[in-house]
Amino acid sequence: MTALLETRNLVKQFPVRGGLLGEKRLLTAVAGVDLELYPGETLGLAGESGCGKSTVARLLTGLTPPTTGSIRYEGRELSSLDRKEMAQYRKDVQMIFQDPFSSLNPRMRVADIVGEPLAIHRIGTPSQRRDMVAALLQRVGLSPDHLGRFPHEFSGGQRQRIGIARALAVSPRVIIADEPVSALDLSIQAQIINLLQDVKKDLGLSFLFITHDLSVLRHLSDRVAIMYLGRIVESGKRDDVLTAPLHPYTEALLSAIPSIDPKKRERRVMARGELPSPLSPPSGCPFHTRCPYAQERCSKERPELLEKEPGHRAACHFSERIYRRR
Amino acid sequence: MPERRTGAGRQKEPTLSPLLEIKGLYTEFRLKTGVLKAVRGVDLSVEPGETLALVGESGCGKSITAASVMRLVPPPGRVVAGSVLFKGKDLLSLTEEEMRQIRGNRIAMVFQDPMTSLNPVFTIGYQVAEGLRVHRDLDRAAAERAAIEILAQVGIPAPGERLKDYPHQLSGGMRQRVMIAMALACGPELVIADEPTTALDVTIQAQILELLDRLKSENGMGLILITHNLGIVAERAHRTAIMYAGEIVESAPTEELFANPLHPYTRGLLASLPELGKPGEKLATFAGGVPLLTSEFAGCPFRERCPVGDESCAHQDVEMHEAGPGHLVRCLKSP
Repeated sequence: MTALLETRNLVKQFPVRGGLLGEKRLLTAVAGVDLELYPGETLGLAGESGCGKSTVARLLTGLTPPTTGSIRYEGRELSSLDRKEMAQYRKDVQMIFQDPFSSLNPRMRVADIVGEPLAIHRIGTPSQRRDMVAALLQRVGLSPDHLGRFPHEFSGGQRQRIGIARALAVSPRVIIADEPVSALDLSIQAQIINLLQDVKKDLGLSFLFITHDLSVLRHLSDRVAIMYLGRIVESGKRDDVLTAPLHPYTEALLSAIPSIDPKKRERRVMARGELPSPLSPPSGCPFHTRCPYAQERCSKERPELLEKEPGHRAACHFSERIYRRR
Repeated sequence: MPERRTGAGRQKEPTLSPLLEIKGLYTEFRLKTGVLKAVRGVDLSVEPGETLALVGESGCGKSITAASVMRLVPPPGRVVAGSVLFKGKDLLSLTEEEMRQIRGNRIAMVFQDPMTSLNPVFTIGYQVAEGLRVHRDLDRAAAERAAIEILAQVGIPAPGERLKDYPHQLSGGMRQRVMIAMALACGPELVIADEPTTALDVTIQAQILELLDRLKSENGMGLILITHNLGIVAERAHRTAIMYAGEIVESAPTEELFANPLHPYTRGLLASLPELGKPGEKLATFAGGVPLLTSEFAGCPFRERCPVGDESCAHQDVEMHEAGPGHLVRCLKSP
């Protein structure tokens, strides 16, 4: 199967001013990422804050250009698309944001928030648009009575529904959802997860789902990729990665999740210390400063992301040795 | 302890006496639109060395309960009834000066967001030492030495140098450690931690929780852990109280609560956890929302969302009853 959306060696650097002398330095937020999103699948991208997962989302939506590397949509290089094709891409790939409080314009009514993408892409007449917006609201579990209201009149869960309706308005093929349920209470989170599952199935969408919550990741994803300091350190089928990880960082992440299941708490592998600064990433393997298994080689030579088992890739010199017990 | 009752029948059984005992606490906010009842008759107790988890969703009143204990309820809110006994003494009857002697000294608080609770214009050394100077009457040099010691205890590397740093120079995990160091500086008997790790990544969260547990078992302090994360609760708390719409709806020893949840709200919360669902399958949800808790409200506040509630739940305020040893539940329909 060919990938719908594909990145190769994607890099994004930001210039930052730092230090006492205000010298310019480069912060490498994304340091060579390869990802594939196949039609109809949900790819979960997980990692802790600052690992670069949100930057990957912004690069994929075309909100910001990559420093180097390629993004291909249906096999075509994004940078080679003309204006019209790029407009189509922006319609096909929609985004849902984390914070339903800051991602909706407080001075716009719901009808205009959800209808805006339709107007921008010149879809339908104004009265047709009104009907389409009403149908979209119903699709996400809101009532057409809400059309004339402002965002502040809604709860967090309802606002996230509005954000989903806006993303669905232009009939996209790919949804990139950046932590869409992290700001929500538990019972509301479950409602939004169910809604996302429903629209994905009904509309045949592909999802890139970005989260730091591995239990949400496990629930929603077909395949997962784990990011650390701007790189993918492990990727593969959900159950392969989350039940038999091949990278010590994945293992540490999994065992750090507080679990209500006492059986899951027995074997705890702790990552030591703190996340290194992306301004001065460690030499060699980026995880070696926190890794419980690190050897001398790890501080010298960066491991490539290699296929260790069918469809299961990891970037670790010693994954065979560490995880052979399985 | 002698098996002997002294005085009248009101004397408590000679068991381990609670460190903190909240009885019949009511906290209200007088707004232009009416009176909002944020905390409605909360009873809780914590023993020395015990971790009590207080769990609920946003707006359920868990943080206002904590603020009521500390006597820090923001206006127009105020405590209108109840008592907060700290080692038998009612905090609500103390003068502001007496309360200041306790706050930050014998009872300390850790807040969720270290960026807004640390003062950006003072060094962390100054802020950690401040409590020691005020409550322990130490001079600058002695307070600084004590601050270095406590920063080392919470796992801050090179604490002597960090002392001169400002909050923005530290990472989120380090700032949260500083918050914990400030809370622990005076050796409090009780710590109230309001979502202490919510803003942190899981690997750092695990480190901070380990730290709180270790300090608790070393010093025998009591801990009230306010959180919405049921995984943390299951791992760390001895007892757990579930709060909904200003009331405790269920409380039990933690293992018992997870093994045998009785209140429909508790059951619903557990069922909505992605961890327990099969991947890809529907998660359980509740329809509807929390009612507006004004003066007119009566009956069970969960009834509109409840799968087992009926007419009878609307007409009476539901009392807590004991369903098993130490297992209390506020539901007419539960055994």
